[in-house]
Amino acid sequence: MSKPALYLSAASTISHQPTFGHAGFSAALVPLDAASALISPDYKAYIDAGLLRRMSKILRMSVACAKDCVVQAGIEQPDAIVVGTGLGCLQDTEKFLNTALTVEGLLPPTSFIQSTHNTMAGQISLSLGNHGYNMTHTQNTLSFEHALFDAAMLVREGDSHVLVGAADEHIDILNDIADRLAFETPVPLTSAASFFILSGTNAGNAAARLADVYTSGGAEYGQEEIDAFLDRNGMQIGDIDLVLHTGNPLSGARQNTGYLPLAGIYPTASAFALHYAVDVLAANGGVRNVLIVNALRKTNLGLTLLKAVEA
Amino acid sequence: MGVCITGIGVVSAIGMSVDENLNALREGRSGIGPLHYLQGTRAGLAGEVKASNDELRTALGVGTEYVSRTSLLGLQAAREAWGDSKRSGVIRTGIISSTSVGGMDRSEVFYKDYLAQHNPDYRLLTTHDSGSTTERIAKELGITGYINTLSTACSSGVNAIMLGARLILQGALDRVLVGGTDALSGFTIDGFRSLMIYDDQWCRPFDESRAGLNLGEGAGFLLLEGEKSLELSGSKPICNVSGWANAADAYHQTASSPDGKGATLAIANAIRRAGIGLDQISYVNAHGTGTKNNDHSESVALWNVFGDHVPPFSSTKAFTGHTLAAAGAIEAVFSVLAIRHNLLFPNLNYRTPIAETGLVPVTRLEIGAEVNAVLSNSFGFGGNNSSLVLTKYE
Repeated sequence: MSKPALYLSAASTISHQPTFGHAGFSAALVPLDAASALISPDYKAYIDAGLLRRMSKILRMSVACAKDCVVQAGIEQPDAIVVGTGLGCLQDTEKFLNTALTVEGLLPPTSFIQSTHNTMAGQISLSLGNHGYNMTHTQNTLSFEHALFDAAMLVREGDSHVLVGAADEHIDILNDIADRLAFETPVPLTSAASFFILSGTNAGNAAARLADVYTSGGAEYGQEEIDAFLDRNGMQIGDIDLVLHTGNPLSGARQNTGYLPLAGIYPTASAFALHYAVDVLAANGGVRNVLIVNALRKTNLGLTLLKAVEA
Repeated sequence: MGVCITGIGVVSAIGMSVDENLNALREGRSGIGPLHYLQGTRAGLAGEVKASNDELRTALGVGTEYVSRTSLLGLQAAREAWGDSKRSGVIRTGIISSTSVGGMDRSEVFYKDYLAQHNPDYRLLTTHDSGSTTERIAKELGITGYINTLSTACSSGVNAIMLGARLILQGALDRVLVGGTDALSGFTIDGFRSLMIYDDQWCRPFDESRAGLNLGEGAGFLLLEGEKSLELSGSKPICNVSGWANAADAYHQTASSPDGKGATLAIANAIRRAGIGLDQISYVNAHGTGTKNNDHSESVALWNVFGDHVPPFSSTKAFTGHTLAAAGAIEAVFSVLAIRHNLLFPNLNYRTPIAETGLVPVTRLEIGAEVNAVLSNSFGFGGNNSSLVLTKYE
């Protein structure tokens, strides 16, 4: 089935790496060390100071990236806002749990209000004054791919520009939980947000094309699933210039890069990989096709195929 | 042919199955009362499902204790909607659930022990994330592949139905089980109390004296099939999913706008998508939570869209309580029942119209009027407004 082209016309990431406002960042990244910290921009440039004071980390990151994307794409408004998050607003969730268990009498509602998963998408719509489709996907390590899939459908249904992104935030208790549940964390647990504008046409500012995105849950995947995905897109592994992966490299690809050591571990780290891929493709250094293989959780497989914008 | 509903399932405070829910709706019997199963909360009244976690696990054949009540309720409704459908290598089948609390009912047990340093059981947290509630349901039903969860607060259930319909129309799936599930938790009870919109009396949707909501719990699921799936499965369609829309109010993080902007857009766009006239809507299953703010804003939106010809409408929240992410799915099942049995359900606890709008809901069970098209509204935090139009299968 031939599908119309989808263009990535903006990308913005706040992470533990110097990603925000640094086009070309992919060329100079080094793996995160254990002491790495979130690199925050001056949020006051993006968010009203009164609002900012009440916003948790995940909300600040999301709203700033969203606004940055709208400026980069040079559009007034996106037609829709679609967000993926694996664990949602952990900081406010923990805060309200704590308050409810320790405070007698009337509880302050702000952290409850901001604990719901769709607070990012809601706050973005508020800050942009956007009345379009507003959705939040939360499917563990595939939350971002599901959001991207939804955004791609929206463009095929006729939307011109969809703001799509992902965010997750780290709170201290996660390290303790990972230890106790024996989750292996060879690289640090991190916070990040990445947002993009997915467009139906290229206004000259598109950095990459989204060729396809695929999710599969509930069963351990095999190489044949990746081969079938490439086959549906008329490609073979030898056509892939760069594979960004979480687990084992793919043999046959020209270059493999594990993205977790760069992004750190969070449920929507594949959104970091997407921005990394867009940045590589925008640099125009001979990379034409990029495949992102997200198997952060072994029973969930996310595949995203990007291509260079045709000259 | 479009997108057909071929199976429905529901569990709520008024029953463990479609039949039990229908009987209570016919009899005007509310399921809201003092909490029996969830202990230690500050809620006076809530719409609790009348079964303990152990009873649910036994009935559903779920062995592990590490399962959230949200998953158990979802599985109960999903199994009923799935019925005796067969898995198929040819029919591409997916599942989309929705939840706002996920496994919070288990996480808060952990967190209490954690704060008290009272030997907290970390394994309780393995069911915390919302996606895992759906993964559990999918696993029990043997569904693999497209497994997804939406979380847009109180509009989630409608959004799952909408996404499922779009996936079928785009040819991404042939058949998809869609719905929503939420368990009561101390977290949400405290949350709505902190907002001062939890009524200690019975909730009174669309009544001038309304003073807030009563929370409830439960799940609703619907099996959606496209043309290819119907040919292969031989399922009998009950209704069509004909229209849907989601719009952002962009007014306030929790409150709805006084001019009902987002709700008006959702209602009007859903009816337009269904391709039917305003006068063809037989019944509106309103969001009608019983809060001052929602019922006013929703009334204004109904006025904006329908003018002087607002169709018969009611909120069924006074039966079930507000079941958050499950509400849109449970009420979609009720809307299917309205069409299937030609029923309009009563809006319990209503006496006096809201002064500014004067709208009067259906207050007694109405039988005999032909119900061909139902509009169902669900509006949530973050200004997330969704509407759905279901029509009789032709």
